Amino acid sequence: MKAVVVASDIITPYGMGIDDCWEGVMADRTAVSLVTRFMTQAFQSDYAGTIPGLIYHGETSLVMQMLALLFDRANGMIPGDAKLLLATTKGEIDFLEKSIIDGVGDAAESALDRLLQKVIDLTGIQGGGMVVSAACTSSAAAAARAAAMIRNGHADCVLVVACDGVTEFIFSGFSSLMAMDKFPARPFDKNRAGLSVGEAAAFALIMSEERAHRERRTILGELAGWGLSDDANHMTGPSRESEGLILAMNKALRSAGISAQQVGFIAAHGTGTVYNDAMELRAFRAVFKDRELPVYSIKGGIGHTMGAAGLVEMIIAQRALREGTVPPTVNLKEPDDDARGWVSDRQQAVRRQALALVTNAGFSGVNTALVLA
Amino acid sequence: MTIAVRGIGWLTKAGYGCIRSGLRHAYENSEGARSLPKRRIFSHPFKNFGRLDGISRMTVYAVALAMQDAGIEYSPMKKQDIGIIGTSSEGSLKSDIGYFKDYIDSGRTLSRGSLFIHTLPSSPLGEAAIHFGLLGPLLYAAGRENSLKAIMDMVTEIILTQEADLMLAGQAEEEEALYFVLDREQRESALCDLTQARSIVESEQDVSALIGQFTMLRNKER
Repeated sequence: MKAVVVASDIITPYGMGIDDCWEGVMADRTAVSLVTRFMTQAFQSDYAGTIPGLIYHGETSLVMQMLALLFDRANGMIPGDAKLLLATTKGEIDFLEKSIIDGVGDAAESALDRLLQKVIDLTGIQGGGMVVSAACTSSAAAAARAAAMIRNGHADCVLVVACDGVTEFIFSGFSSLMAMDKFPARPFDKNRAGLSVGEAAAFALIMSEERAHRERRTILGELAGWGLSDDANHMTGPSRESEGLILAMNKALRSAGISAQQVGFIAAHGTGTVYNDAMELRAFRAVFKDRELPVYSIKGGIGHTMGAAGLVEMIIAQRALREGTVPPTVNLKEPDDDARGWVSDRQQAVRRQALALVTNAGFSGVNTALVLA
Repeated sequence: MTIAVRGIGWLTKAGYGCIRSGLRHAYENSEGARSLPKRRIFSHPFKNFGRLDGISRMTVYAVALAMQDAGIEYSPMKKQDIGIIGTSSEGSLKSDIGYFKDYIDSGRTLSRGSLFIHTLPSSPLGEAAIHFGLLGPLLYAAGRENSLKAIMDMVTEIILTQEADLMLAGQAEEEEALYFVLDREQRESALCDLTQARSIVESEQDVSALIGQFTMLRNKER
C-alpha cells in the first residue's frame, strides 16, 4: 500500500506557510536573526531562527502558539479518524523554564504527554496519538512510522505533527556543547563553524493511496521509502566513518525498491557544524560513488529546527520535486573542498522522474533517510 | 509472519532478573540497586557509567538482562542491526529540571553539556545503542495511555517491514525497568509470540505485575 501526502503546512522563521519558506530559500535569503527573547551575551552566538510575534513565557507555550496558527489554516482538512504522531524534542520546555526562573506554574506541564493531549484537542482527531522523539530526527522518524503503518495496512490516515521552539534551555545547551556558529549557520561552507538554532512547526497528512483516491484528495507526493539507523558510536558527535547514515540511506533505497541512480537530489540535514556536514558528504560519496548530484540544506535559512527539521525539510523537498528545481544552500559562500560539485549557492534543475532523498541525523547517533516520489 | 519474544530483562526496587532463563535475584536488606555495578550485569565494562542519569542506568541494565535472556552476545566492536524503542512515564523531566536548575544556579551563564545531553527522552536509548552496538532504528515513543502496548505495535511495524533484524522494546523509570527482545522468527527457545505478550501488556501496566504475568506464562509453557 503506497503512503501519500495529501496535505501539509509549515510555520517557519520566514513566516506562515510553505510558500514563504520556499520563496525565502529560493532567494538565498536567511531568516536567522538576532535573538531578542532572552539574553545571549553569555553564549556562543546571538543568532537564531525565530518566528516573529510569538510571546515567550506567556500563558501559552511557543509550540502551541505555532500549532494554533498552523491548524487555524487546516480547516476541514484533517479527518477525525486520523491517527496522530507528534514529533518533538523539547515540546513545551518553556513552561519548565518559567517554573524554575519565576516560580510560576508546574515544571511537569512541560511533559510531552500533556502536549500530546493539547494537540489531540487542537486537531480534533479521535484516532489516538503518540509522541515520537528521536532527537533531531524526530519528525523524519515519525513520518517513516506513519508510512510503515500505512504500508502494513494498520492505518490508512496518519497525521504527523512536528514542533520545537527556540528557548533559553536549548540555546544554552547547544552553546555549552560549542555547537553554534557565531554568525547565521553556513552549511557545507569552507568556513562553517556551527549551527544556528531555529524553530518551526509543521504537519503532513499521510494517507493510503487508496483512501486518497476515494476521498478525491490531491496527492502532493509519495513517501516511497525510509530507513532508520544509529551510529552506536557517540552521544553528540557523528560517526567518522558515516556508517550509520550509509545504512539508513541504503535501507531507504531498499524500502522504496529503487537504485541510487534514481535519486535526483538530496535534501541534506546540513546543520553547518564541521563534523555533521563532513559526515553527510562521506555518506553521499559512499552511496552515490562518483555521481555528484544536487545537495542542499535549508538550515542557513531557518536554523536547525530540531524535532521539526525532518518534516519541514520533507515538505520543502516535495515542493522542489513538484517545481523541478532544487533550492540553493542558503548562506553558502565558498563550498568546502569535499562539497564541491554537490552543493551550490544557486538553484538547480531536477531531472524528470527523479526521486528525492531527505537525510537527518541527531544526538545519540540517530540517522534517518526518506525517499520521496 | 510470527513475531516472537526471545527474552525479557527486568529490574524493580526489590531485585532484578530474566524471565525466560528464570534468573531472579532479590536484593538483601539495604542492598538495593546501588549494588548493581558489582553484579557483572554487563559482558564488558560500561564506559563512563557514572555520568548516566537514573533512567539511562535502568535502561541499560534492563537491556543487558534482556540480551542475556535472549542469548545474544554483544560488543561495541561488533555492531548489530538491532533496533530499540523505549518509553517512560515522565520522559526526561527529571533530567530537564536537573540541567536547567544547574544552569540557573551557575548564574545563567554556563551550562553543563554533560547534563544537557540527557535532556532528550531518547538519550537513555542512545546510551544503550553505544554500549551494546545497536545499529537499528532508535526512538522514544509515548502515548496518553499504555505506552508499552503502543510501542509493541510500533516494533511490529518495524519487524514486518524488515527494518531491523531484531528489536528491543521496553519501559524504564527511576526505580524499575522492563525490556523485551523481539525477533521475526518463532524459535523453539522463544518465550511466547508477540500476540500473547501484547495481550499481557494490554491487561497490566505495572512493571511488577507484568513480571509476575510473564513468569507465570514461562512456568506454564514449561
